[in-house]
Amino acid sequence: MRNLHRLVTAIAAVTLVAGLAACGGDDKGTSKTKIVIGTFGEFGYNDLYKEYMAAHPEIEIVERVTKAEDHHKNIVAHLATGQGSADIEAIEEGWLGQFKVNPDKFYNLLDLGANDIKNQWPEWKWKASIARNGAQIGLGTDVGGLAMCYRTDLFAKAGLPTNRDEVSKLWPTWDGYISTGKKYAAANIPESAFFDGPAVMYRAVLGQADIGLYDTNDNVVVESNPAVRGAFDKTIEALKSGLSAKIEAWSPDWNAGFQKGRFATIACPSWMMAYIQEQAKDSAGKWDIAKIPGGTGNWGGSYLTIPKQTKNSKEAFALAKWLTSPAQQAKVFRKAGNFPSTSTLYSDPVITDFVNPFFSNAPVGKIFSESVATMKAQYLGPKAGDINTAIINGLTRVEQGKQGPDEAWQQAVAEVKKLV
Amino acid sequence: MKRHALHRFDVKASPYFYISPFFILFGLLGLFPLLYTAWVSLHDWSLLEDAHPFVGLDNYTQLLKDPFFWNALVNTASIWVLSTVPQLILALLLAHVLNSRLRGDTFWRTGLLLPNITSVVAVAIIFGQLFSRDYGIVNWILGLFGAGHIDWNAGTATSHVAISAMVIWRWTGYNALIYLAAMQAVPDSLHEAARIDGASSLQRLVRITIPSIRPTIIFTVIISTIGGLQILAEPLLFGRGGLTGGSDRQFQTLALFLYENGFGHYDFGYASATAWLMFLIIAIVAAINFSIIRLIRRA
Amino acid sequence: MRLAQLRQRPLVYLTLMAFVFFSAFPLYYSVVVASLDNSALGSVPPRVVPGGHLVDNIQRVFDTVPFGLAMTNSLIVSAVITFSVVLLSTLAGFAFAKLRFRGRPALYVIVIVTIMVPTQLGIIPLYMLMAKVQLIDSLYAVIAPNLVSAFGVFFMTQYLSAAVPTELLEAGRADGCSTLRLFWHVVLPIARPAAAVLGMLTFLNAWNDFFWPLVVLTPENPTVQISLSTIASGYVTDYALTLTGTALATMPLVIVFALLGKHVISGIMQGAIKG
Repeated sequence: MRNLHRLVTAIAAVTLVAGLAACGGDDKGTSKTKIVIGTFGEFGYNDLYKEYMAAHPEIEIVERVTKAEDHHKNIVAHLATGQGSADIEAIEEGWLGQFKVNPDKFYNLLDLGANDIKNQWPEWKWKASIARNGAQIGLGTDVGGLAMCYRTDLFAKAGLPTNRDEVSKLWPTWDGYISTGKKYAAANIPESAFFDGPAVMYRAVLGQADIGLYDTNDNVVVESNPAVRGAFDKTIEALKSGLSAKIEAWSPDWNAGFQKGRFATIACPSWMMAYIQEQAKDSAGKWDIAKIPGGTGNWGGSYLTIPKQTKNSKEAFALAKWLTSPAQQAKVFRKAGNFPSTSTLYSDPVITDFVNPFFSNAPVGKIFSESVATMKAQYLGPKAGDINTAIINGLTRVEQGKQGPDEAWQQAVAEVKKLV
Repeated sequence: MKRHALHRFDVKASPYFYISPFFILFGLLGLFPLLYTAWVSLHDWSLLEDAHPFVGLDNYTQLLKDPFFWNALVNTASIWVLSTVPQLILALLLAHVLNSRLRGDTFWRTGLLLPNITSVVAVAIIFGQLFSRDYGIVNWILGLFGAGHIDWNAGTATSHVAISAMVIWRWTGYNALIYLAAMQAVPDSLHEAARIDGASSLQRLVRITIPSIRPTIIFTVIISTIGGLQILAEPLLFGRGGLTGGSDRQFQTLALFLYENGFGHYDFGYASATAWLMFLIIAIVAAINFSIIRLIRRA
Repeated sequence: MRLAQLRQRPLVYLTLMAFVFFSAFPLYYSVVVASLDNSALGSVPPRVVPGGHLVDNIQRVFDTVPFGLAMTNSLIVSAVITFSVVLLSTLAGFAFAKLRFRGRPALYVIVIVTIMVPTQLGIIPLYMLMAKVQLIDSLYAVIAPNLVSAFGVFFMTQYLSAAVPTELLEAGRADGCSTLRLFWHVVLPIARPAAAVLGMLTFLNAWNDFFWPLVVLTPENPTVQISLSTIASGYVTDYALTLTGTALATMPLVIVFALLGKHVISGIMQGAIKG
């Protein structure tokens, strides 16, 4: 009984402390303007915050970082309940479409002066964050770009050229990619396929079309747009030619696949480089990077938005504008490797001279900047992510042998119709 | 006389004082969200938009016509059977074994709960590894017996088995602990008498222990039914965060279906209707299980 | 006596050891990965022996997030919730199990029924409620919705209905004891093993709760699970760092259970002597 009393007293004491602790935390009495910025992953802004605060002593910057999925879910919850969002919210391009549906929840940055800096970015990056009513809700941060990472040692074994310029010449189109793949398959290297799985190829092919899943009026054109079926069919062709390692992206098998050379090529955005370097340390120097078939592409990249809930829109905009300006993006690139979206940097030596030794000293600065500089803008509608999931599931079903291509396509289209 | 009246007041009124803290707090914080989601289920309510038109029972009728809903229901039922039945039987056996005086009691007890305190992130990573098609340990062991590499994720039956394994792993110790607490309230004298009569350990379990802890068994069956029909974390993790539960929704449970609609498509109204339909199903199944278990003879 | 038992039942101990091995392996493996680096996770065959990076990774965890604050917050939240749930559930459980009052069956059914409704969607209305009373971003917002648990009431009710002999209560009544005295002197001691179990389970649940705290708190004032999410964020998950965080986050749980486990045993011993 005595022990129980002790336990109860202890807990009561803790409760008391809890009451005190829960009350504290709010530092009133400072005259600084607090700007809260919500990000995910690694935006690489920590040093920038210090720099900005030193130059603007009246501003205090607080960062919130969570996992991408949770971060965006929280934004939805905070917007829906009208409370709790940060002053600046970073939004990734995959989620951007959902938020563009309701642009009234965000400040139209054109009203705050964004038009002056419009030309910093390539046209597609600028357009992607413009809502249907013409409001610009985001300032571009980084881009993924897209190139093709390949294993030089495996290519050599298959009798294919290994020099990256020659390799880029092998596949100016996706047809060239597939025929190169067939040559690789014919070399019969054990436990090694040409590429990892259907998802990335499909997205890359689709991303190169003028019009994708939506037209500019937010109508879904999956069925009527031949480009969508074309991307689907092209990927099926690659699957049917036996070029796929049938590995699901981000799975443990996929990680192991990098180490064991289970796939000779993989479409890689700039941030994939760090991943490959982490997962397959022993393969340093065995990789190189060539152009992506079709020449242009992008996977990944974010925007800084300013929800209307903020009380400090002017200060928030000033900070967001500064963070996304070319000078700062160059600093982030040097420190954290996030590839800048401001095309004015692309002729700067910081980009043009950047090479990656892990990837046989490939001039990655040039390669990725070229892949995004001339990219066409493709309108991304609100449910693009879910629609892509449905179509990629269809491709996976074909790969797993559950359905034929036509059946899988019909099912995917039916699912898409249900979604919207 | 006054003492007698006070006593009667005590007997009649005090129960309400004992239950009121619970009901007051629950009324404030538990009931409101429940009623709110019921209200939302009657609207076409997207979390991304501000307009929420009233649509009556439309969400419910649409759900009943939705093949994905029925698919999720079948998946949930299958995984529930595969995971709950072995789990409870194993838990009973474990608790019975631990009920006798063993060395290192604390050690075994902590062992029982280790799966529950292992973080979900760690579980996802490790079970992902175990059931990997090319390099997983399970397939490696099967390979030693000559079986081929199974793609656990791709098949319906295989994915259900893998997910059930995760559920059994996580909850068997928890249920064993609950049974153990109940078994320890059974007087030793009953067991002694049976031992003297020559009953074996198993016979004592079936004839004495199980009837004595009947309320607890009913309790775990109901709780496992409720929990098992709401499995969300395991299919979500097994599909590596994918909301469709596999390329063909082969392991999408009702809870994952709800999650896909509520936090994937942000269709709050449809997801709320799903939640309340799930409630109906859970209530019916729990009632059925309850009546089955009641057939155990009373102690 | 003990050694004799050990020799008599090797099969039992073997099975138990196998069980503990399977139970503990994922936790052990996460510690192994925590002591290595990222490439170790993908390596085949999987590495099962700890490496030397543990201290580095622990340092990195504390550098990346306010982990000490997160642990303190989680401790406060979980302790308060556990205390409240166990106390209120025992009170209500006693009433449902052993007292007679009008409306008992109906109210009890309500308790059970409320366990059956999936609660994930409740975070939206809860968030609105917390916003109205200006509790967003405080620990109160995390504690309040969890102060009572229908599961806890259900659990204590079924336990007490079997474990508390009605004759004992009736004898006490006949002696003129008030309900409160009955509760304090008869029911509470008997309830102890179940209270300890409920306490463990509640603490565990509160400690691992992730979804709700994530919406209502911020990473500046986090609980442990939120900090883990911050660590795990990134285009590319740093598994070694993440699993270091989870291993650290699990330590207090193991300690709590080791401690409370002793209470369960001592409670049972006392009960055995009395009974």
